[in-house]
Amino acid sequence: MRFLIFFLRLFTWFSLRQVRLHPWRAGTVLAGVALGAAVFGSVRLAVDASLDSFTRSMDIVAGSADLTVTLPGGRVGEDLVAKLLQLPEVRAASPFLSTYTRSREGAGRPFLLIGLDPILDRSLRTWEAALQPGTERSWIRLLAEPFTLMAGGALAKTEGWTAGQTIHLEQRQGSMPFTVLGDLLPEGLGVTENGRVALTDIATFQEFTGTIGTLDRIDIMLNTPSAEARAALEALLPPGVVLQGPGEARRSGRSMIRAYALNLSILSFAALFVGMFLVYSLVALNAASRRRELAILRSLGASARTLFWLFIVEGAFFGLVGWLLALPMGSLLTRFLVDGVSRTVTNLFVRVNVDTMTLSPGEIVFSLGVTLVVAVLAAVQPAREVMGIAPKEVMATGAPGTGSVGRTSHLALGGLVCVLAVVPLAAMPGYRGLPLPGYLATLLLFVGFALMAPWALKNAGKRLQPFLRRRAGLAAHLAAGYIQESGRRTAVSVGALVTAVALFTALVIMVQSFRHTVEIWVRQTISGDLFVTTRMAETNRTWDPLPAGVEPYLKALDAVDLVPNRRFTLNYSDVPFILEAMDFATFDRYGTFFWLEGNARELTSPLEAGEGVVVSEVFANRTGLAVGDRFRTQVQGIALDWPILGIVRDYRTRGGVVFCSLEALRRQHGPMAWGGVRIFFKDRAQAGGQALERLQDDLRLRFGDRLDMLAGEALRAGVLKIFDETFAITTVLLIIALVVAALGITTTLTVLVLERTRELNTVYAVGGSRGQIRRMILWEAIFMVAVGEVGGLLCGFVLSYLLVFVINRQSFGWTFLYGVDWGALGFSLPLIVATALMAALPAMRVVYQVPPATLLRER
Amino acid sequence: MTTPEPIIQTRELTRRYPLGGSEVVGVDRVSLTIAAGELVVLKGNSGSGKSTLLSLLAGLDDPTGGRLQVAGYDLRRLSEARKNRYRREVVGMIFQAFNLLPTMSVLENVCLPALLAGHPYRPTVARACELLDWLGMRPRGDHRPAQLSGGEMQRTAIARALINDPALILADEPTGNLDSRNGERVIELLRDLNRRWQRTVVIATHSNLADPFASLQICLKDGVVTEATCDS
Repeated sequence: MRFLIFFLRLFTWFSLRQVRLHPWRAGTVLAGVALGAAVFGSVRLAVDASLDSFTRSMDIVAGSADLTVTLPGGRVGEDLVAKLLQLPEVRAASPFLSTYTRSREGAGRPFLLIGLDPILDRSLRTWEAALQPGTERSWIRLLAEPFTLMAGGALAKTEGWTAGQTIHLEQRQGSMPFTVLGDLLPEGLGVTENGRVALTDIATFQEFTGTIGTLDRIDIMLNTPSAEARAALEALLPPGVVLQGPGEARRSGRSMIRAYALNLSILSFAALFVGMFLVYSLVALNAASRRRELAILRSLGASARTLFWLFIVEGAFFGLVGWLLALPMGSLLTRFLVDGVSRTVTNLFVRVNVDTMTLSPGEIVFSLGVTLVVAVLAAVQPAREVMGIAPKEVMATGAPGTGSVGRTSHLALGGLVCVLAVVPLAAMPGYRGLPLPGYLATLLLFVGFALMAPWALKNAGKRLQPFLRRRAGLAAHLAAGYIQESGRRTAVSVGALVTAVALFTALVIMVQSFRHTVEIWVRQTISGDLFVTTRMAETNRTWDPLPAGVEPYLKALDAVDLVPNRRFTLNYSDVPFILEAMDFATFDRYGTFFWLEGNARELTSPLEAGEGVVVSEVFANRTGLAVGDRFRTQVQGIALDWPILGIVRDYRTRGGVVFCSLEALRRQHGPMAWGGVRIFFKDRAQAGGQALERLQDDLRLRFGDRLDMLAGEALRAGVLKIFDETFAITTVLLIIALVVAALGITTTLTVLVLERTRELNTVYAVGGSRGQIRRMILWEAIFMVAVGEVGGLLCGFVLSYLLVFVINRQSFGWTFLYGVDWGALGFSLPLIVATALMAALPAMRVVYQVPPATLLRER
Repeated sequence: MTTPEPIIQTRELTRRYPLGGSEVVGVDRVSLTIAAGELVVLKGNSGSGKSTLLSLLAGLDDPTGGRLQVAGYDLRRLSEARKNRYRREVVGMIFQAFNLLPTMSVLENVCLPALLAGHPYRPTVARACELLDWLGMRPRGDHRPAQLSGGEMQRTAIARALINDPALILADEPTGNLDSRNGERVIELLRDLNRRWQRTVVIATHSNLADPFASLQICLKDGVVTEATCDS
C-alpha cells in the first residue's frame, strides 16, 4: 500500500507535471484519443440501441410462449387454435397477427399494429391501458367495440391521438377508420418498438387486413415443455405448418444485424487504433527526451520496473482522460449515429424504432476498458525501452540521445512477414458468419505496413538526399538527412498516417466499386416503369395478393407488358430468404439479371419452363448451395424441389433471393394470384411521361388506396439513396480517423522541432535564415506525409481486395465488381496531403517562440 | 588504537569499454583500500578515469574485472534488486551537473531517494526539512530547480545525497559548475559531513579546493593509480 501511494506520488511529480508543462502536446494526444473513444463508444451505443430495440420488441411480442405455429410463406388457419387448445399438453394457445400500418392523417411513419384475442392472450403477454377510473376494462372494450385500438404512449404522443378520436389506418384493403380507446401503459406490449405500437381485437385486424380466418401464427404455452408434448402438437398440424421456438425470429434477425454491427464497430475502432499511434508517439517521445531524468531516477535507486510502470500508467492516464473527454463528444456523435444506424438497420435488415437509449454499465465499462487497453498497449514498447536505461547514463556529459534509428531492416522484415500472412488468412472461411480471419488479416496488414514505415523513411531520406540537394536546395537536403536519423518516433506518426490513408483508400475503392455495381444491378435487374404492390407490402415485407380486379384490369391494357410476381419470405435452415416467382420471358425483354454464373441467353427458356431456379450470390454463399445443387423448400405446405441453374448478383437483403417461374409454381401449387407486378410500356418513349401518370391516376381511381405504386425511376433513385445513406456513417468515421492521424503529424513534428530548438537556432546562428529553417521543417513534413501517403495507398489497395472479396463476402454474402475510381481518389488524396501538411504549421510556428540568443546561452 | 574498518576495497578493479573493434580503458587494475571516515580526493585530468571509478563505487556501472567491495557489499555479485537497494541506502551521489529532476520541487527532489527506499512520507519530509535547514535551503523548498542558482542546486543535491543517511558520499566534480565562492561553500559542507558526521567522502575533482581537507589523495592517469604527486 505504501508503495502504491509512493508510486502515485512519483507519477504525479514526474509524469503529470511533465504533461502540464506541455499542455498543447498532451492536449493534441488527448483530443485524438477522445475522438477515437467517442467514435468507438457512440457507434457501439447506436448499434446496441438498434439491436436492443429489436430484441426487446421480439421478446415482448414472443411473450411466455414455448412454441409458435406458423405456415412458411403463408398463414395458419384460425380453426387450428381450437384444436390445439383441446390437447392436454397445451396450457394456452393464442392467435397472433401483426402488420405495419400508418395513419392517413399522421406524418406517415409506420407503426406496428397487433391483432390478438384479448382473452386467450392474457396468459401469454401482458399489457394494460391507462383508462379513466370507472371505465370498462380495456380488453372488454377492444372485444366489444369493433375497429377500436389502444395506442402505445409514444405512438399516441407523436401522432397526437386522444381517447375517442377517429383515425384512418392504411392497409391492403385501403384506409379504414379506427377509434382510439386510450393509451397503453408503458409495460408489456405497450413498450414494444419503444411504444410505437397499437393493439386491436383479432376480428377487427382480420377485417382490416383482409385475412379473415387466417393467422400469422399461434403462440403456445405448454403445461410441461418436453419432446413428447412437441411431438403431440406436431401430429395435429396440417401439412406445411411447422412448430418453431419463439426465439427463432429473434435469432435470425440478430444474426443478420450482427455482421453489420461488427463491421461498423471495427470501422469505428479504426479511429481509436489511429489514436493508439498518438499515445505511442507521445509516450515514446517523453521516454526518449527524458532519458537523462530517467537515468537520474535509476541512479537514486529506482528500479527498472518502477520506470516501466511510470510509462504504462502514463499511457493509461492518456486513455482515462481521453475517455472522459470523449463523453461529451460521444453524446453529440451518438445523436447523429443513432438516427443513421437505426435507419440503415431498418432499410437493410429488420425494422427498429429507437426513440430512447439506455446506457448500460457494461457498455460504459467496455468502452473504458477498450480505450485503456489501447492506450496501455501503445505505452508498452516505450515502457520496455526505458527499462533498458542504465543508471550510469547519469554520468554522461552532453545531451542524451533522444531516439534510435534501430534496426529498420529487421522491423521491415517482420512487417513483410505480417503482410504475407494476409494471403492464407484471406483464403480462410469465416467463423459463424463473421469474417474473423479477414479482420485478423486487416490487422496484420496495418501492423505490417506500420513496421515497414521506419525502413521506408530511412531509405526515402537516403535515396532522395543527393537529388534533393541538387533540385530543392539545402533545406530539403538537411530534412532528408534528419528524417533518416529520426528513428521510430517519426515512423510511428507515419504508421498512423499509413493506417488512415489505407482505410480511406480502401473504403473509397470499396464504396465506389459497390455503388458502381449496385448502379448496374439497379439498371439491369430493377427494370420497370411502374412497380405495383398491395398497400404496405414493402414496409411489411409480406406480399399478399393484389386486390381483386387489378390483375384483369392490367392484362386488358394493350400498351404495356407485365412482369407479375409473387414473393414469399421463407427460411432455408437458419437463412431467411425471399422466394420470388416471376415471369422470366417478359422480364428478359426489358431487363436482365446481373449474372455471376450462367447467362440469360441459355437460361431464360429453362427457367420459364420451370426446369430450375436461379439464386442470388448472397443465398448461395449463406447456404453453401451452388449451380447443380438441388434447392428444396416448402411454400404454403407445397414442397418444391428444383435444380439451381445459375447465380446472380442481388443486393436485396434478408439472406438472398431465389427466383423461380411463376407459371411453374402455379403448376405445383394451384392458382396463385399476383403479389406485385412490374409494368413496362411497350412504347419506350412513354416510359416516364404522361402515359405513366395517366396509368397511375387510373389505378388510383379504380382501386383507391389499396395499392402502393412507385415509378421505376423513383424506385431506382430510392435504392441508391439508401445506399448512400448507409455509407454516410462510414464516411464520417473515416474522416474522424483522418483527423486523428493529422493530429499525430502535428504532435510529432511539433515535438521534433521543440527537441531540436537549440540545434535549429544554431543553424540560424551560423547563417541559416528563418525561411530556410521553416522550409527544412516543411520538407520533413513532406517526407513523412509522402511516405505515409505512398504506404497508405499500397496498403489501401490490398485492404480494398480484403474488404471486397473477403470481409463483405463473409459478412453479407455479396461481392461486387472491383474497380478503382481514380477520379475520387485523385481528388481526395491531395486533400489529405494538404491537411497533413497543414498539420505541420504549428511546428513551424513554435521554432522561434524563444529568442535564439537566449536558447544558445542556456545549457 | 584500532585501525578503522575499510569501507572501500578494490583489487585489480578494471573497467574497459568496447569501442568499435577495440577497447577503451576506463580504470585499469586499480587496487585501493579506503577506511571509513576518510575524506578522499580523487584527482586526475579529463579522461583519467575518475568518473568511471566513482560510477563503479556508486553501483552505477559494472566492472569488467577485479574485485570491488563497498561497505560489506560485493558489488560484482549483487543482483539488480540488491544493487538498487545499495544505491538507495549505502551511497549518496553528488554530480557536477546537479542532476535534479526538473518537474519536482527542491523538497520533493530531496525526499525522492528515501521514498524510493520505502520510507514513510511524513518522517521523510521532516528529515528533508532538517537537511534543507542545515544547508540554508529551507525557504527554497517549494521552488523548482530551474528557479535556483547553481550553488543552491548543488546544496539541494547534497541534501538529496544525505536523505538516506548513507555511509559513503561520492561527489563527481561537485564544484565544476559553480563559481569560486559557491565552490568553497560546497567543499566546506563536504568537509563538515566528513568531520562532524563521520561520513566517508570521496570527491573526484580537478580543483585544489578540497586538497587541504583530504585525508587521502589518489591520483589517476589513463585509468591507473599513479604514485606520483598529483598535478593540480
